[in-house]
Amino acid sequence: MTTMLPEIGHILLIISSVLALFSAALTLIGVKQNNAYLVGLSPTLFRAIFTSVFVSLLCLIYCFITDDFSVAYVANHSNSQLALGYKVAAVWGSHEGSMLFWIFAIALWGAIISYHIKMADCTQDKASDKYQDAQYFARLLAILALVILGFNLFLLFTSNPFARLLPNIPIEGRDLNPILQDIGLILHPPMLFLGYVGLTVCFAAALASLLGGGFNTRQINYLRPWVLLAWVFLTGGNAFGSWWAYNELGWGGWWFWDPVENASFIPWLVATALVHSLILTQHTHGFKLTTLLLCLLAFSLSLLGSFLVRSGIVQSVHAFAADPTRGMSILCLLVIFVGAALLIFALKAHHLKQDVTFALFSKETLLLLGIVILVVAAFSVLLGTFYPLIYELLDLGTLSVGAPYFNAIFVPLTFLLVLLMGIAPLVQWQIVQWQNASKTRITSLLIPSLVILAVAGRVSLQAASGSSLFLLLGTAAALWLLVCLLLTILAASGLGRRIYTRQLTQNRSEHGLNPPVKSSKQGFIAMLFAHFGVAITIIGATSVSFFEQEALLRMGPGQGKPLAGYVLVYESTENVETNSFTAIQANISIRDAANDEVILGYVRPQRQTFKSNGMEMSHAGIDHGLWRDIYVSMGLQLSDSEYLIRISYKPLASWIWLGALLMMLGGAIAAWPTRHFSYQADLTTLVNLSHHKPQETLA
Amino acid sequence: MNPILRFLVLLLPITLCGIGIPCLSVAQAQPISSLSYQQQAIDISKVLRCPMATNQSLFESQAPIAHELKAQIFSMLEQGQSQDEIIDFMVQRYGQKIRYQPEFKASTFALWFGPLLLLVLGVGLCLALVTRRKTQTTI
Repeated sequence: MTTMLPEIGHILLIISSVLALFSAALTLIGVKQNNAYLVGLSPTLFRAIFTSVFVSLLCLIYCFITDDFSVAYVANHSNSQLALGYKVAAVWGSHEGSMLFWIFAIALWGAIISYHIKMADCTQDKASDKYQDAQYFARLLAILALVILGFNLFLLFTSNPFARLLPNIPIEGRDLNPILQDIGLILHPPMLFLGYVGLTVCFAAALASLLGGGFNTRQINYLRPWVLLAWVFLTGGNAFGSWWAYNELGWGGWWFWDPVENASFIPWLVATALVHSLILTQHTHGFKLTTLLLCLLAFSLSLLGSFLVRSGIVQSVHAFAADPTRGMSILCLLVIFVGAALLIFALKAHHLKQDVTFALFSKETLLLLGIVILVVAAFSVLLGTFYPLIYELLDLGTLSVGAPYFNAIFVPLTFLLVLLMGIAPLVQWQIVQWQNASKTRITSLLIPSLVILAVAGRVSLQAASGSSLFLLLGTAAALWLLVCLLLTILAASGLGRRIYTRQLTQNRSEHGLNPPVKSSKQGFIAMLFAHFGVAITIIGATSVSFFEQEALLRMGPGQGKPLAGYVLVYESTENVETNSFTAIQANISIRDAANDEVILGYVRPQRQTFKSNGMEMSHAGIDHGLWRDIYVSMGLQLSDSEYLIRISYKPLASWIWLGALLMMLGGAIAAWPTRHFSYQADLTTLVNLSHHKPQETLA
Repeated sequence: MNPILRFLVLLLPITLCGIGIPCLSVAQAQPISSLSYQQQAIDISKVLRCPMATNQSLFESQAPIAHELKAQIFSMLEQGQSQDEIIDFMVQRYGQKIRYQPEFKASTFALWFGPLLLLVLGVGLCLALVTRRKTQTTI
C-alpha cells in the first residue's frame, strides 16, 4: 500500500484537475442559466478539489519522511541524513513541490471561501451586511478552480512531483541544497506562497465582480481582509527572505536587487498600491476600476515573477529550480490568464464607472498619487530586471543592471512616497473647499520640515563614504514621516478633531454630498503601525548603508582588531561536525575597546563543507543587537593558522526587519474582523442605498 | 512667529549646507593613506560584477578571480589611477557586463529615463483626472 502512495498522489492530482474543470464549467453554466441547483453544487465540488489536492500533498510529504528515493523529486532533494523538519520543508524546497504547495494553498483559501457561500445562502435578509450574492461567490470559486486547473495541468505535463526513478532506484538521495538547510526554508517560502495565493484570491474576486457587472459595497468589504492578508504575507515573505540572505549567505548584504528578489518585491509594491486603492474605494465608492485593475495586475506580476525565477532566463544568486522548458509553459499560462482577465476587464469595465467628486487638495488625490508612484516603482524595478534580457534579445550586446541603478531609481521614488505618506493622514477626505483646519495642519509642517532638512543635512556630513545625497534623502524621509505621524496622532486625539469633524459634516450636507464615512479607529491604528514600520525600516536601511564600518583582514589565534568602539579578538580555531556538514569555526570574542578584559560576547563564523556533495559554504557569525549588529565572515585559509576574515559593524541593522514586523502587525490589525467594522459596513451600505441610485444591479 | 526667529530657522539649513559642501569636496579628494585606498577599493569592487560567480559583486564573490581583481583594483589605486580609469580598464577586459551600473548611452536611454517618463505620465494623468473631476464630476 505505502509503495503505491506516489501513484495515489499522482492520481489524486489528476482527479483534482478533472474536478476543477467540472466545478468551473457547472458553476459558470449554473450562473448563466440562473440555476440554483448547479450554483449550490459549487462549494461541495470545491471542497472535493481541496481534499484531493491536500491528500496529494500529504502523499508527497510521506514520501519525503520515509525516504522513498524511487520518487525522482525526493531523490533529488532529500537525503536519509536530513533532519525531519528539513525533510518536510524540502517538499517546497524546489520547483515541483513548491508548485504543489502553491496549488494546495489556493485550494485551502478557496475551501474557506466555500463556507462563506453557505452563510450567504442561509441569510435570507438581503439588507444584512452578512448577505452576499451567492452568484458572486460561485463565480469566485469557478475562477479559482480554473486557476487550479491551469496550475495542475502545468504540473502534470511539465514537472510532475511524483515521477518515479524505476527500475534503478538510488540507494541514497542527493542532498537538499545546503543553502536551503536553514530555518529560513521553513518560514520564507510558505509565507511568500500564501501571499501569492492571497493575490490569486483577489484576482478571482476582481474577475467575479467584473463578470457580475458590479463591485458593490459588500463585495468591497469582503475583498478587504483578503487583500490585507495577501499583503501581510507578502511583506513577511520578502522580509524573511532578506533576513535569511543576511544571516546565511555570508556576504553581509540584506538586499541585492537580484532578479529573484525583484520577482517577489514587484508584486509587493503593487499589493501595497492595491491596499491603498481599496481604502480609497471603500471611502469614496469610486475608483473601482483602479482597484480591480490592480487586483489583476498584482496576480499577473506574481505569475511573471514565477516565470522569471523558474525559467532560468536570468542569472541569479538564489539559483532555484531553473529549466527553460518550464519557462515556456509558465509563459503560456501567464498569457492565457492575463489575456483573459484583461479581455473581461475591457468588456465589462464600463458597467462600473461611477462619479466621484473631490477637490484637488484632498486625501483622495494624495492617495491616488501614492498609488501611481507605487505602480511606477513596480514597473521601474520590472524594467531594470528585464532590461538585460531585452538588450540581449535585440542583439545590442550584454549588460548588467544591478544595485547602483536600482538605488538611483528607487530611493528618490521612495522619498516622494514618504512625503505623501506624511501628509495624507493629516488631510481629510473629500474636502470641498480648502478647509481652515487642514490649512493650519499643513502650514504647521513648514517649520518642522526645515528643521528636518537641517538635521538631515547635518547627518549626511557624517557619512563614511562619499555620496551622501541618498543619506540626506533617507534621513529626511524617516524624520519627516515620524514628525507627521506624531502630528497625526495629536490631531486625532485632540478636542480639535471632534469640532472639525462636525464642521465638515455640516459643510458636506450644505454641498449635498454623502455624509463622511468615519475612518474606523482600527484602520487608523493599523495605519499608524504600518507607516511607523516604514519609518523604522528606512532608518535601518539608511544607517546600514552609510554608517557601516568594515575591515577585511588576515587573522589568526591571538590577533585582534579594534573597530567602532569594540575590539575583536580571534581566540581559537575549532572543528565542528554535524549530521550534514563538517566545518572549521573561528571563535572570535567581542570586547569593549575601553577595557578589553570585558568580553561582551562571541561570534562564530564557519566554513562548512557538506558531506553529501562536498559543497563549501561560508556561514557568517553575527552578534545581533538592537543598536548594532557585529557581523563576521570567514574566507580563505591564508596560512597554517590564519584566515581571511571580514568584520563589519552594522549600526541599526535589525531595524530593517523590525520595521517589516511592524508593517505586518499594522496589516494584521486592519485585516482583523471586528463587530465595529461590520457595523460600519452596515452603515455605509445604508448610506449607499439612500444616497446613490442603485447603479450596480447584480446580474 | 517672530520674523527674526523665522529668518534664523530659514538660515539654519543654508548654513549647514554651506558647511557641508566644502566637507564633501574634501572627502572626494585624492586619498593619502593606504587605509582610504582600501575603502575606495571596496567601493569600486561593490559596483563591479564578478566574471565567474552568478550575479555577485566582486566584493561579495569568493571566487579566485574576484580576489585577483580586487588586488588589481588596489594596486591600480596605489598607482594613482582614478575610479573611472579602473572601471574602464575592467570593461575593456571583461566587457560591459562587468558594470552593475550600465553606461549612459543611446541604447540604455530607455532604462535610465523609463522610470522618469512613467512617473511624469502617471502623475500627469492622475492630476488631469482630478482637475477635470473638480469641474465636471465625471470619470
